[in-house]
Amino acid sequence: MQPIFLLDLVSRHANWASFRQATITGNIANANTPGYKAKDVEPFTSVLDKTHLEMAKTADSHLDIRSNGVRDSRLNGDETWGVTYSGNSVTLDQEMLKAGEVNRVYTLDMNIMRSFHRLMMTGLRTQG
Amino acid sequence: MIDAISTLTSQFRSIRGTSEVSSTTAATAIGMPQPVGATSFSDVLADVAQNAVSSLKAGEAAAITGVQGKTSVQNVVEAIMSAEQSLQTAVAVRDKVVAAYQEISRMAI
Amino acid sequence: MIDPLKSASAIASSGLEAQSMRMRIVAENIANARSVGPSAGADPYTRKTIYFSQVMDRTLGSNLVKVKNTGLDNAAFQIEHDPGNPAADASGNVKMPNVNVAVEMADMREAGRSYSANLQMIKQARSMVAMTIDLLRSS
Repeated sequence: MQPIFLLDLVSRHANWASFRQATITGNIANANTPGYKAKDVEPFTSVLDKTHLEMAKTADSHLDIRSNGVRDSRLNGDETWGVTYSGNSVTLDQEMLKAGEVNRVYTLDMNIMRSFHRLMMTGLRTQG
Repeated sequence: MIDAISTLTSQFRSIRGTSEVSSTTAATAIGMPQPVGATSFSDVLADVAQNAVSSLKAGEAAAITGVQGKTSVQNVVEAIMSAEQSLQTAVAVRDKVVAAYQEISRMAI
Repeated sequence: MIDPLKSASAIASSGLEAQSMRMRIVAENIANARSVGPSAGADPYTRKTIYFSQVMDRTLGSNLVKVKNTGLDNAAFQIEHDPGNPAADASGNVKMPNVNVAVEMADMREAGRSYSANLQMIKQARSMVAMTIDLLRSS
């Protein structure tokens, strides 16, 4: 796999992770809003499949959730840990676990980008 | 600065009559998109410099929109990093070309 | 179009504001749990309630939380028999506030937990942005 393709993949993954972070933050902020149902973004593999078809249409400057193919959707009952009496389906612990996962994934992506960037610069810099 | 690098492009294009060896492998090694059909080496060099210019401009534009707050930080960082990479590529290629030219000029006739 | 990490910070800070408002209401309820009315037979302190609602912010493209309203709990007052109390009516009964301190304490703990969860989200968004910017540094 050429490093150029890897960098593109990692960049899309990091972008997806930051949208997921925004959604999780919205869930946590609305943890006590009656009737609010927890949201999550679709998994990265389905985003990847779609972007192969939509690559011509996606412009880099359009990064809002709707047009980037990263759509958020309501989680149904068996994906959340429970629904309260007021109709709120957000569980703080579940959201914190997801946030930890997002953090791990984003750190990995950034470190991959840093390493490969450094790799390419070193490779180009030898024998000036 | 970008204009100074644009002169690289014109200098590359002025290298005429050099080897007409098919240069597709060289292009793949640098990671550039494959040129259609066999092209001359000078065209590959010109493409490298042109690519550096355009990705520098893209990096500049991304930095401006980043400062205005219109794009994400990730976009700005990526644009700048790829501008760095392509500039470094162009400089490395230029150095090699200059070194090769000097070596040829040193040949005893 | 908008940086998702920036909107995450805005969402979490709206959550902080909402939760701290909630803690204020709870603190008020606990402090006034035994406050009787000003005159004989008058109504005592009424328990306050707070309701949140989700607000869609078009510029951020994200869902913030806002305090919809604060209201009064219209549960019945508790009646205590205390003839010596200045607020006692003719039969010696005093109306006490409809505040259950145990419920308020549980609510306060919940609010504290939500507050620190929102704070954690702000920290995480900030560290993600810092990580990104840090990429430019060493090369």
